[in-house]
Amino acid sequence: MTSAALAQSWRRLGARAPWALAALALIAYAASASPYGLRVLALAGVQVVLVLGYQFIFGHAGALSLAQGAFFGIGAYVTAILGSRYGLGFLATFPLSILAPLALAAAVAAPVLRLASHYFALATLGLAQVALLAAVNGGELTGGALGLTGVPGIVLFGWAVPRGFAFTAVVWLIVAAGAWLSLRLMRGLTGRAYTVLRGDPLAAAAIGLSEQRLRLAAFLLSAGYAGAAGALDAHVLGVVSSETMAFSVMVACLAMTVVGGSTRLAGAFIGALLLTYLPEWLRSLEGYALLAYGAALLLAIVLAPSGIAGAIAGTVAALARPERPILPAPAELAQPQGPSGLPLLVVRGLAKRFGGIEALKGIDFTIDRGEILGVIGPNGSGKTTLANLVSGFVQSDGGTVILAGHNLTPLGASEIARAGIGRSFQQPALPPELSVLEMAALARASLSNDLGFRAALAGRDRGDRRERHEAEAMHFLRILDADAYAHYPCSALPYRSAWRVEIARILALEPKLVILDEPAAGLNEAEQGELARNLRRLARLGLGLLVIEHNMPFLLPVADRVMMLDEGRAIASGKPEDIRRNPAVVSAYLGRRAGLA
Amino acid sequence: MSEILLAIDVPGAALESASLAVAAGEVVALLGANGAGKSTLLRTIMGLEPACGAVRLGGEEIGTLSASRRARRGIGYVPEGRRLFPGMSVRDTLLVGSRRGTAAAEQRMSAVLELFPMLAERLATPAWQLSGGQQQMLAIGRALMGEPRLLLLDEPSLGLAPVVVDELMLRLRGIAAGGTAVLLAEQSVARALEIADRVYALAMGRVVAEGTPAAMQTSGVLERAFLGADAVPPVRFPP
Amino acid sequence: MTAFLQLAFNGLALGAAYALVALGFVLVLNATSAVNFAQGDLVMAGGYGAAALAALLPLPGLALLPLVMAAMAALGLAVAALAYFPLMRRPASSVFISTIAVGLLLQNGALHLFGPEPRAAPAVLGGGQMHLGHVVLPYQSLAIVAIAAALVLGQRWLFARTQLGRRMRATAQDREMAAALGIPVRTMIALTFALAAALAGASGALLSNQFFVTPTEGGALILKAYIAVVIGGWGSLEGAVLGALLIGVFETLVAAWFGYTAAGALLYGALLIILLARPQGFYGEAAGRRA
Repeated sequence: MTSAALAQSWRRLGARAPWALAALALIAYAASASPYGLRVLALAGVQVVLVLGYQFIFGHAGALSLAQGAFFGIGAYVTAILGSRYGLGFLATFPLSILAPLALAAAVAAPVLRLASHYFALATLGLAQVALLAAVNGGELTGGALGLTGVPGIVLFGWAVPRGFAFTAVVWLIVAAGAWLSLRLMRGLTGRAYTVLRGDPLAAAAIGLSEQRLRLAAFLLSAGYAGAAGALDAHVLGVVSSETMAFSVMVACLAMTVVGGSTRLAGAFIGALLLTYLPEWLRSLEGYALLAYGAALLLAIVLAPSGIAGAIAGTVAALARPERPILPAPAELAQPQGPSGLPLLVVRGLAKRFGGIEALKGIDFTIDRGEILGVIGPNGSGKTTLANLVSGFVQSDGGTVILAGHNLTPLGASEIARAGIGRSFQQPALPPELSVLEMAALARASLSNDLGFRAALAGRDRGDRRERHEAEAMHFLRILDADAYAHYPCSALPYRSAWRVEIARILALEPKLVILDEPAAGLNEAEQGELARNLRRLARLGLGLLVIEHNMPFLLPVADRVMMLDEGRAIASGKPEDIRRNPAVVSAYLGRRAGLA
Repeated sequence: MSEILLAIDVPGAALESASLAVAAGEVVALLGANGAGKSTLLRTIMGLEPACGAVRLGGEEIGTLSASRRARRGIGYVPEGRRLFPGMSVRDTLLVGSRRGTAAAEQRMSAVLELFPMLAERLATPAWQLSGGQQQMLAIGRALMGEPRLLLLDEPSLGLAPVVVDELMLRLRGIAAGGTAVLLAEQSVARALEIADRVYALAMGRVVAEGTPAAMQTSGVLERAFLGADAVPPVRFPP
Repeated sequence: MTAFLQLAFNGLALGAAYALVALGFVLVLNATSAVNFAQGDLVMAGGYGAAALAALLPLPGLALLPLVMAAMAALGLAVAALAYFPLMRRPASSVFISTIAVGLLLQNGALHLFGPEPRAAPAVLGGGQMHLGHVVLPYQSLAIVAIAAALVLGQRWLFARTQLGRRMRATAQDREMAAALGIPVRTMIALTFALAAALAGASGALLSNQFFVTPTEGGALILKAYIAVVIGGWGSLEGAVLGALLIGVFETLVAAWFGYTAAGALLYGALLIILLARPQGFYGEAAGRRA
């Protein structure tokens, strides 16, 4: 074994050892605990499942949902009603307890997920209140405020699981299953996709990630896990009541998630166990549960926003010796050779108004394969709006955008990114939490449809597939001479090199057209020369380029054609030399009173 | 003597290093294309951008102070796009620019209204209903309410008709004549050369030229900076 | 008809109390872009404060009110210090969570100081009622409407006619520009919290005479304030007051015929429909702006 491989094995062992030890400690405790102790342990397990679910929507997708308690309650009530009233067994009630909240979540998802954050929170809060009202006023069905008793125990294939150790063990086996699923779904590139989604929606769209799909999946999973937790809660306690649906359940879940760590698996365990046992330990101080939750939540959100698990991970990372990263070898990808001279992008009548202001008043232009079109114009002339409209980041008010014969006008940014238009931004859209390699590999995986929960379950977002994406990513990084930065976190990139990484990101999605928004900003002459050379190279490969620039000495030698915008209209278009002499251009740049000698 | 001596060294794209000075009663213009760093420079002086370096106002080092403290030391700011408060009337907009109580502020307001009589006729009008030129006057008036020693303006002529800009420039000269130092960023080269006592040209985050308007016109440095070196026919500005 | 007028009046009184809560909520929202989830619990604190003060000082409710409001203003400063200022540079959702936490602390504090039994604050001017035709107008309800109106108008006067109010408006509308004018932005935000808490406290003191106060009642109130702000338009002060009045009347009318549960259910149902169909309310910004 090489020393690097040995080091990696040690690292893996080091990462797994705490889990093994914790599991052993848990089993040892359970073996000697009193019936009451086992019950508390079972309840803690229930909370772990609830928090694991909440991590999908709140932690990974970054959306503050306040319906998690309601989904929990629905699961509990389904088990109680079907179990105590209709005598259905665990093997029927458990899946139904998962499906019921899942169905509700699916029903409300489409309109609710589209809301901006504080409205989403409010909508889910309203949902929770309706659920509570339904429970309290369900008459005979739900037992009203007092609820239902006589929830049967867990019966597996005819074996009635006895209360005590076996019961708690069954609960914790389900916990383990939930944790395994969570790990499998989030360990690979899909988890990284969520990191980008919640931290940098612009970069997410530019990489082609479908925000809607990812958020929906997270919402549904959180509801399903909550239902499972509720079912288990009903079995452990034997009763359900309006307490099960109360907002305090939601608050406790939120506190556990934040305190433990909202995106880390360990966080679910730490938060749930800590906040379940804290009131137990403080039992002498009666009724201080709420106080403990409130104080813990406040301290966590202010001092340790990534929770205890996050703080531990941060400390470990700081103390560990930095590993020498092994860079994957770049894959050999065939150079796309498109026929030059054919029309690639056709834009007709593109228009946009913002409130009362017409930012673009109907623009027509085309870009051929292999052609570089420069777009110039004073401040407020509409250049960035043009870039936003063509790339789908803003919806147009009129006009069409056709790429290689396909009408892209109705599509959103992430769909257009995958359909073949890549773009850069004035501030590079690079997700700060990912490494350069991860980001580029994510783009490759996005293109190959290897992201999302189905892909994660099938294992397509890690292992061999992931390595292949990383190798391909290295290929694009090397083209831009950015491969040395592969393991840098995007936030640590020196400013002067960010442009290379951003263009590599664009190329990784194999675009047909590339839009660059002021790419030369901040670059010195040597770097501008290199950028120019790269742009020419891309054009030779058959890509079309649209380059927005203020820097005329950079742009005029590079562009094949130049179009000038002023106050939302194209006022001049032609070869660079002609544009330079055009009196309209000169006066727009140097002031209206300037004239030719 | 209100002299600022400014040496700024900012990591990042927009502003590399800039060193300039403005004296009381002087009008100094910053020229440059978009992205050259004019706005960033003004914001840095105001304290709205992080920066290392020295900013001295009347001999006092203010580089470590927050924006609101710098305002209280005597800097008035008229940002690009004016940034008037939505929904506030002309009167309220002016009054809020003063750091004194209502009575003292109203006194100062009558002095400012002498400079902008068209605002005096519209005190109750909500700011958003004013024309572009009137809004610009209001924004300047708001900044003047604080009795600043240094007035910063970011592209005041943007979006305004030429005759309105003429008015504006006249006013600015009057303000400078009253002893205030005026530093303005202008994209319109012609306008800047008309009004300024001295000019700094910025390109790609650095000061590339400095001098009187006359000197700038003859040296050709402006054309080179904006349009590129070769094959540019000489452009002459009105005397 | 008489029944309708009676209910309308009762609803108006309830809505007036809600208006104070909603107004405080939207003031903080504008100043900080953050949802103050503790606003409902501040109402509860005001109710308890009034009840506690009454036990110490045998004064009529009207005299106690300014004292309660002053104490609540101080509490508002504490909330700002604990839940807002440490998180100023973080996304607004963090403040959402920190104010949930502070709300929990307030609830628990109340529970320990006062126990779980509901308490009542003294009436503002004493019990009794007057009659307008067949409609019964309890003095307490009249007092609620009058005091709420006075406070709302007082806030309008503060914002429209004083330098302090202008500065608070400027801070809420464009914090950076306000700083560039020399306005001490943090002080303005702290004062906004204090004002919001004082309004909440007044509402609590007024409500807890008729509806006894319990530690957990803040939860339903925050939801109603939230709904009022959505109905009236996110960010609009007038809209929040209007929305609150509507909720008060709606709740009272529906409850009289179908019970409180139906009232609640319909209210939340209406909320969901509004959010999905016309999220910008009467006056406000659009809610669904996703890229």
